[in-house]
Amino acid sequence: MIEGKDISLVYGDGTKALRGVNIAISKGQLAYIIGPSGSGKTSLLKLFMGIEYPTEGELKVLGLKMQKGQEANIRKLRRLIGPVFQEFKLIKGRTALENVMLGLRFLDMPSKMIKEESKNALIKVGLSHKIDTVVEHLSFGETQRVAIARAVARKPALILADEPTGNLDVDNALNIMSLLASFRNENTAVIITTHATHLLDNIDQGEIIKVENGIIKMESRGAVQ
Amino acid sequence: MKNIGYFFKEARTIFQVDRLSNILSIFSIGLIFLILSTITTAWWVSHQLVNMLRDEAEINVFFQEDMEDVNINSLMESIGIIGDVKEVKLVDKEESHQRMVEILGKEAKVLELFDSNPFQAFIEVKINVEKLDTILERLESIEAIDYIRDNKDVIDKLQNLISLLTIVGVLVITATGISTLVVISHIIRQGIYNNREQINTLRLLGAPESFIGFPFVLEGLFLTVAGGLLAFGLVYLGVKTAYGQIGSNIFIPLPHMEDLLKSMGVFILFASGVLGIGGSIFGLKSAKVN
Repeated sequence: MIEGKDISLVYGDGTKALRGVNIAISKGQLAYIIGPSGSGKTSLLKLFMGIEYPTEGELKVLGLKMQKGQEANIRKLRRLIGPVFQEFKLIKGRTALENVMLGLRFLDMPSKMIKEESKNALIKVGLSHKIDTVVEHLSFGETQRVAIARAVARKPALILADEPTGNLDVDNALNIMSLLASFRNENTAVIITTHATHLLDNIDQGEIIKVENGIIKMESRGAVQ
Repeated sequence: MKNIGYFFKEARTIFQVDRLSNILSIFSIGLIFLILSTITTAWWVSHQLVNMLRDEAEINVFFQEDMEDVNINSLMESIGIIGDVKEVKLVDKEESHQRMVEILGKEAKVLELFDSNPFQAFIEVKINVEKLDTILERLESIEAIDYIRDNKDVIDKLQNLISLLTIVGVLVITATGISTLVVISHIIRQGIYNNREQINTLRLLGAPESFIGFPFVLEGLFLTVAGGLLAFGLVYLGVKTAYGQIGSNIFIPLPHMEDLLKSMGVFILFASGVLGIGGSIFGLKSAKVN
């Protein structure tokens, strides 16, 4: 599903975000990428989302080569994944349902199903009562759930969530973590980045990948999948 | 097509984000199209008029007043055999007077001041205007003819006027076309800037550029068509007023008002549609969203 060999990422200003990263994520896997702020975990996720290209090394996501000049692959990948962005990236002035539907409109899905799948996704994340609420009128946690609903409604092969616990308190953060983990199944892998390592003490499923200074320091495969 | 409702809704939202600016743009575009329509109308009317005059081209041949009927008939026969002469008709003194009464309308009272009919009989010769010079040469060689009145000067002047209007028209069309494209592309770029976050999100979700851009094309189309309709409304009022004011007071026949308005309506809508789509695409292509 994801295969990365000797990946490096250097930003335009010379910042070395990732160095010689080797990573493999398989189908249906649940993985947590942890590390302090600035360690490179968001950069790694950006590579998986097709927002950045590796400066060196080779990366394939869902069988698509991620490389500069492969824009068609990037566009295709972005339609296959379910991203949950750190800053949510919901469209202001639109309802929760409209936001979720927007992520499906350009996919190969009949119009009737778009609304149905969007509603189902919002119900799954516990927002059945907020379907027609404009996103600015939702709480932080609810907004986050809309972003998750938008990602899962697409029935993606890969859900990528960047710091989904953000500024949430422990209980809400754990709820969001377990909500995201619940979408993992035999066809859907879930990758979550977080700097809140203390939350992982309460989580008994998934692999933990630790990133420090742009290098993968430790891969814990001991956790139950 | 499944997203057509969404596209229209998005276009409306984009319009409302910068409503005042967009409304003012409709007025600007309307005025640009009004200039375009005015020049086009003038060109079209004069072109129609010249064509009409060409079809109706005639020469009036005057002869000595005391000429006997036999000689007049003989003169008409001589004229009739000249090549490119379509029709020869005698207009006697009474008909000549009657025609002037019709032309002058209310002003015909002035003719009552004359003790007797001041008009002369003449021969009306319908011709192929392209052969005017050859026909004139032949007529001048006939001794019985006293004087020839042709409309060559009028037709030539109209032809020159049309040439001038065509040049001015091309320049105006080019200028208004470029202005509209610039105005529309600027509005679209502004719309893209106002919606840059949404556009970036859509790109991150993998939306094709056509999906992202279509609402902007619709907005551009709406602005120009609205501007075009505004211009047409003003042209409609202008033409109706002009026909009402001058239609019955000039000697030359104008094209049918309905035909003129229909042609102008189709032209303005077509031009506004093409310029709206063109300007929007230009705006989309030239906008860079990071």
